[in-house]
Amino acid sequence: MTDRLLLAVPSKGRLMDRCLETFAATGLTINKSASARDYRGTIAGRPEIEVHFVSSSEIADRLRRGVVHLGITGEDLMREATDDADARVRFLAKLGFGHADVVVAVPACWLDVRTLADLEPMAMRFRSRHGHRVRVATKYLNLTRHHFARAGVASYRIVESHGATEGTPASGLAELIVDITTTGETLRANGLKVLDDGVLLKSEANLIASNDARWTPSLDAAARDLALALARAMQSP
Amino acid sequence: MTPESTQHFDVIEDYNQRLTAVFRGAGAELVAPSIIQPAGLFLDVVGESLRGRTYVFTDPEGHELCLRPDLTVPVCRIYLDRDPTGRSAQRFCYSGPIFRYQPQDAPKANARETRQAGYEVFGVANRAEADVDVVATTVAALRHTGLSDFTLHMGDLGLLHAILDAQAMPARWRQRLAHQFWRPDAFHNELKRLVSWPAASAEGIDPALLAQLDPTKPDEAETHVADFLAHKSIDLFGTRELSEITAGLLDAAADTKSGPLPKARADLIESYVAIAGTPAQAIDTLEKLAAQHRCDISGAIAQYRARLALLGSAGVDLSAARFSGGFGRRFEYYTGFVFDLVSPVLGDKSPVAGGGRYDSLLAAVGGPADVPAVGASVYTERLRAALVGAAS
Repeated sequence: MTDRLLLAVPSKGRLMDRCLETFAATGLTINKSASARDYRGTIAGRPEIEVHFVSSSEIADRLRRGVVHLGITGEDLMREATDDADARVRFLAKLGFGHADVVVAVPACWLDVRTLADLEPMAMRFRSRHGHRVRVATKYLNLTRHHFARAGVASYRIVESHGATEGTPASGLAELIVDITTTGETLRANGLKVLDDGVLLKSEANLIASNDARWTPSLDAAARDLALALARAMQSP
Repeated sequence: MTPESTQHFDVIEDYNQRLTAVFRGAGAELVAPSIIQPAGLFLDVVGESLRGRTYVFTDPEGHELCLRPDLTVPVCRIYLDRDPTGRSAQRFCYSGPIFRYQPQDAPKANARETRQAGYEVFGVANRAEADVDVVATTVAALRHTGLSDFTLHMGDLGLLHAILDAQAMPARWRQRLAHQFWRPDAFHNELKRLVSWPAASAEGIDPALLAQLDPTKPDEAETHVADFLAHKSIDLFGTRELSEITAGLLDAAADTKSGPLPKARADLIESYVAIAGTPAQAIDTLEKLAAQHRCDISGAIAQYRARLALLGSAGVDLSAARFSGGFGRRFEYYTGFVFDLVSPVLGDKSPVAGGGRYDSLLAAVGGPADVPAVGASVYTERLRAALVGAAS
């Protein structure tokens, strides 16, 4: 039996649709397996590739663990899944969909806080006034910790939030948030502003290769081939 | 998964027994803090940076717990359980495992489960005596296990605070510098900002609003800020109140009025951090530096010298000891004297023991006020490695 190139793609929703469209645009048609129970698929004319339909949050995890060779997921989810993404995976091609910025947003009424550098003095005052650390609601624990450390922000606590994060400052569950936004509309509707230097990551869907998967020269070539085809399709309008 | 939590367990346990025997001889009660601790206790005290190197998990009821990454914080909780007033003088010792996450590519020597034996002294008002008690007892404990070749490395956050206090600068600058000392890059950047462009903190604030804000009249300023928000149709909401937002704006307004920090002052601070030498040399260097900058830190220098004299009379070998101003940027809870005991076999990146003074920690873990506190831990696996290395 020859090794097959395992490719994880999102299993539902807009991300899956855009993913299938993008492949179709390169002339690669992904066929879902006939059995509905089996989350597998194939690509016409590419017998060496085995497609796995996986929930998008889990794709980053599989790439990190090296369970699949390739995966399509947002750069934000990949960098969140591992502290040392650049050592564990390679970002092979940007796919032009799933755009989202990971941003630091605070209540617009915080006239005294405009940049990341303003956060720590604010947080120090907050702690002595309220007796606890300022709370940051986010699902991006790693990204927040990493970027805050680089900006010298230390006096905060993370409150994990997996939905309606933008509402947490108004409901008193947190003071500020780190979240994704596409247009900023939801943030504005919730009375929040993005800090001037508060874009931590400009994310989009990427074709990502796992460094920890079992690679052979032929799998390597197949992956390069696929990356090239997708990158080429991205460039032609 | 490694099948054994500790290799050479019998040897390690024997060392722990010897170490705690010396600690108990010094008057400490042997205690056994829980291995599973509430995560919030550590995250509040040490900060979110800890989450990256601690095993944090959720129990079936949704409580965030962790495998203890440190023993000092749990021992503080034991002290407060015994004496909620935090006024009594007590000594505790312990031995057992601590747990730290190690990334996949970490050196093999960094185990995620390691053993420590430690000694903590609470509520002793004579700080120099308590500092020396901890060093001398830890040194005696190491000797009792057979380790003879090690040197004392130390630092003193009291000196840094004295230098900051003795210099004319706004209190908020002093506070920020002391606060960022733990993060060398942020500390350096803060110092650079104060020298070059302190008004940067006011960048982007509406100039008309800024002009209205008078730091000597905070109540009036609050009204101006409220009017500004109303005029711009910005809702005031969230936990931070108008007074806090105003305080932040007033600090920025004050920064536009105070001139930059004179470069000579920043130089003195950077020179202090860079001081390194024998404890006697280092303090002479600092004394000269302070005199040259007309910076009166005689009180802190006298305390340092008193501690040094006490260390000498307690029989601690100072001939090879080292002091450095930047020492101890490790745990943010330290507030004064800090030290490591270093074996030449393992080098100063892997001290065999380390500790220091943490007077603010008790209040931070739920005590009614700050309590004088100082302690040290021996890293038992390293102790064994040092002993084995020295023998071969």
